[in-house]
Amino acid sequence: MNRGPFIFIGVLIIVSLSWAFTLVKPIQEAGRLSPQGLGTDRVPTLLPGLASQGKEIYQEQGCVNCHTQQTIGIVGSDIAREWATRQSMPLDYIEQTPVLTGTNRVGPDLANVGERRTDANWHYLHFYNPQITSPGSNMPSFAFLYEVREIIGEPSNRALELPAEYRPEPGYEVVPSREADALVAYMLGLSQAYEIEAAPTPEKLAYK
Amino acid sequence: MNLICNLFSSVFPTLEGDGSKRDREQGIDASMRFATLGLIKGSVFWLLVSSLLGLIVSVKLHSPNYLSEYSWLTYGKAYPAFWNALIYGWLFNAGLACVVWIVSRLGGRPSGNSGLLIIASGAWNVSVLLGLLGIFKGDQTPFRMLEFPTYVAPLLFASFIGIGIWILLAFKSRVYRSSFASQWYALAGVFSFVWIYTVAQGMIFCSPAQGVFQSVVAAWFGGNLVGLVVIPFALAAVYYAIPKVLGQPIVGYRQSNIAFWSWILFSSCAGLASLGNGPFPAWVVSVGVVASFGLLLPLSIFSMQFLSSLLASFSKIWDTISIRFVFYAVVAFMVGTIFTILGALRGVQEVTQFSQYYDGVRFLVLVGFAGMSFTGVIYYILPRLVNKELPNTSLADLQFWVQGLGIFLITVGLVYGGYVHGSLLNQSTADTVAILENTKTYLFLTSLGFVIFSFGNFAYAVSFVWIILSPRTEKEKSADLIESAPELEYTHS
Repeated sequence: MNRGPFIFIGVLIIVSLSWAFTLVKPIQEAGRLSPQGLGTDRVPTLLPGLASQGKEIYQEQGCVNCHTQQTIGIVGSDIAREWATRQSMPLDYIEQTPVLTGTNRVGPDLANVGERRTDANWHYLHFYNPQITSPGSNMPSFAFLYEVREIIGEPSNRALELPAEYRPEPGYEVVPSREADALVAYMLGLSQAYEIEAAPTPEKLAYK
Repeated sequence: MNLICNLFSSVFPTLEGDGSKRDREQGIDASMRFATLGLIKGSVFWLLVSSLLGLIVSVKLHSPNYLSEYSWLTYGKAYPAFWNALIYGWLFNAGLACVVWIVSRLGGRPSGNSGLLIIASGAWNVSVLLGLLGIFKGDQTPFRMLEFPTYVAPLLFASFIGIGIWILLAFKSRVYRSSFASQWYALAGVFSFVWIYTVAQGMIFCSPAQGVFQSVVAAWFGGNLVGLVVIPFALAAVYYAIPKVLGQPIVGYRQSNIAFWSWILFSSCAGLASLGNGPFPAWVVSVGVVASFGLLLPLSIFSMQFLSSLLASFSKIWDTISIRFVFYAVVAFMVGTIFTILGALRGVQEVTQFSQYYDGVRFLVLVGFAGMSFTGVIYYILPRLVNKELPNTSLADLQFWVQGLGIFLITVGLVYGGYVHGSLLNQSTADTVAILENTKTYLFLTSLGFVIFSFGNFAYAVSFVWIILSPRTEKEKSADLIESAPELEYTHS
């Protein structure tokens, strides 16, 4: 215990064992999955181009700090909440780098938000000011992803239809930026609504 | 043969007395004064930054419109900025300052190369600053405690290597053949950080593991960053402060090596318990749960050693500012580790998963234990480094009570509020807005805690600037007023 090298070797062995046993081994066993099926039956489904850009906005804004993208199937109430019909599986994430499973749920889980909230307009209003669609929510407004501009000539057909108290002053309109478009496309594209045989569901585990 | 000797001496630590001379100590202090003071300055700066960010984060959680017009300070950016400023900014600077001091002083010889330490610690602070700016700019990565943009990682890593090499050289040039528990923890922290940071960067960013395994690597890294780097640095500080300040050896010092190796062993897997129930291999999580329970062994030894030593001279705790911080830290460590172990229990995790419970436990361990023990040791080393008395002890007293109260309130708000949050989230189908309404009291409590904690941090900063800037009194100029502390590292009761 009196020499540096002894402590170095001891720590190196312990941390390396932990690394080899809990990281390298499971990756070798289960970390080389490939997608199944083709075309519309492909599992996992692919994100459209604009939605992939939305994933970058999601990462930039740190959405992962409040929202997970993983369904817990065996315990908890995710399925009772109708957030999903089955537990998330490693296969769902094989094309995600970086992966956004998240660790905190200040807000709801988003693994299947594209299935629950299918209306793009709802998302546009929600990002502009969450109080419009979810009064009392503590999600911050992402109004900086929108442009408030003067109406010159005809109003834009993309302008948000805001309730009276959230409208800008007369003669102005709120138009989503490309980033807002991408983020909404990402939300609409988030889905794990395909079957994976091995995935646990409450029915399969009814004996529990 | 060496290995066998070492193995033997690790089971029965050799004990060697030594004399001390203030001249020699002053030589050692002089050789590292500039660099250590630099690290402490960095730590005070980052403490102020992180307490400001922590306050913003906790207010945003119940008042989402607060500062929401600034796209660079949205909750999703302020939250990782807060935790990274706290760990890489405050705790690493403060911890490394303590470790540098402890390794040099225990080595008993001035170690040169101060240029290396100055450059490396400067580069460390620059990379923390760049990392935070990167987060604000939008380049964060989505992995806890690895949010700094990937382009900052090489500089951060290189500067840590520089500091680590300095610590190794200082250890190598020691006079005494034997080594003390503080030195083991210091070295273990340095080695571990280099190893786990390499693994994390390699397996998440350089050649990413497939899908969910990136999250497994991140959980492993996150657990080890706390368990194998920050906590060992803090344990080094506690092992150093107790005999020095109380003037008595650590009770049951012989068990230190068992505590050391079992802590490293169990802590190296304990972080994986946080992955429970998700799309991750279940057996990996089970390893994490078992390892978390293993922490009971080192925890019982630490509790026995620290509490017996501290309670043996309880009156000194109220008289001496530095040991009072250490006492708070030891209690926080015990409570925090018990919360960590409980949080890994399947039954508890079913309730608390994804809630703020784990933020609360992390805050208690990092700030209540590591932060407070570093502050205590800094109050011990600062007067010796600058050869001045603490100009105002009641300010330091105030800081202790205010910070202590702040940490307590934040922990209660997050841990108990997190439990309520989790039980509504995982055991009911209540709407997330309704859950928020039910936990608002705890969110306000956390914000109140952050206000109080920031106030204490401000008192700390004032106290620090005061001692640095105050002119030396005649007494301080003419005589050496610091009495040398007893050297008890190599003796035991």
